[in-house]
Amino acid sequence: MRLEVRRGKKEITEGTTVADKLLIVALMIISLSGFIFIKNVFPQGTDVRIEVNGKSAYRLPLNTDTTISVKGVIGDTVVEIKNRKVRIKESPCPNKICIHNGWVDRGAIVCLPNKVMVFIGGSEDRQNKTIDAIAG
Amino acid sequence: MQLQDKYRIALLSAYAIAIHSFENLLPTPIPWLRLGIANIITLATLVLYGFRSAMMVTLIRVILSSIFIGTFLGPGFIMSFGGGVISTLAMGLTFSLLPRLFGPVGLSLIGALFHNIAQLFLAYVLFVQKLEPILIVSPILILLGTITGVVNGFIGGMLIKNIVKRSNS
Repeated sequence: MRLEVRRGKKEITEGTTVADKLLIVALMIISLSGFIFIKNVFPQGTDVRIEVNGKSAYRLPLNTDTTISVKGVIGDTVVEIKNRKVRIKESPCPNKICIHNGWVDRGAIVCLPNKVMVFIGGSEDRQNKTIDAIAG
Repeated sequence: MQLQDKYRIALLSAYAIAIHSFENLLPTPIPWLRLGIANIITLATLVLYGFRSAMMVTLIRVILSSIFIGTFLGPGFIMSFGGGVISTLAMGLTFSLLPRLFGPVGLSLIGALFHNIAQLFLAYVLFVQKLEPILIVSPILILLGTITGVVNGFIGGMLIKNIVKRSNS
């Protein structure tokens, strides 16, 4: 089979042009600035920290779905992580306010009777954590 | 369309399907990461035989290899189809509007970029419907697309040079 090549377009085969190099640099800059942008815009909610009686007991990633049982002062509190949200599923405390809190994606859930505290956040936003509810 | 063009498209499509299917067998560190080696064929077709042939080769490649792999009309096919058509369209437009500005590497980069943009858009509209994961993934995709785009562009350039040399001698 004979191949015909259009003469006018033969220059295209001459390797990389200045515009090619500029395009590579531009794309690199775009993607790197994208990384920086995302790091600054979405810093929240990267892991779940569970404290029992004031001591850090567990540290779990927010993006993996799990259910764990945490041994508190008066019994076991079951914490469930699903779809980047956290809830307390079961609790031995009398009025179950922590359970009624439902799914939470930022801040914290605190169960005072059982002394179980669940914090959501990356390591950098520890100082501005807010307590959503205190279950007495 | 002349008979010779049909032969050419058939031959190039066969190469593209083989590469595309082979690429699907390669294990990748991230499941949705593809090297896009089949784009080399589209690139060479575009530069040597024009936009219509390139689009034809892309369409045949995407549809037939999805039938061979068994993903026809599935979510993977929709992503692959959208990405292929948009990237060929972008490369074709660049090539005909700005004929001598970009070499093979530049065209390949534009193809890779628009492939990623199309797939991110489709993923957003059809599957994810949340902006946050799309935004988080896009810089990684653009960076990887740039790397594979440059490599594919170089290989495509060598292929084009070779075909031109052989057909002239």
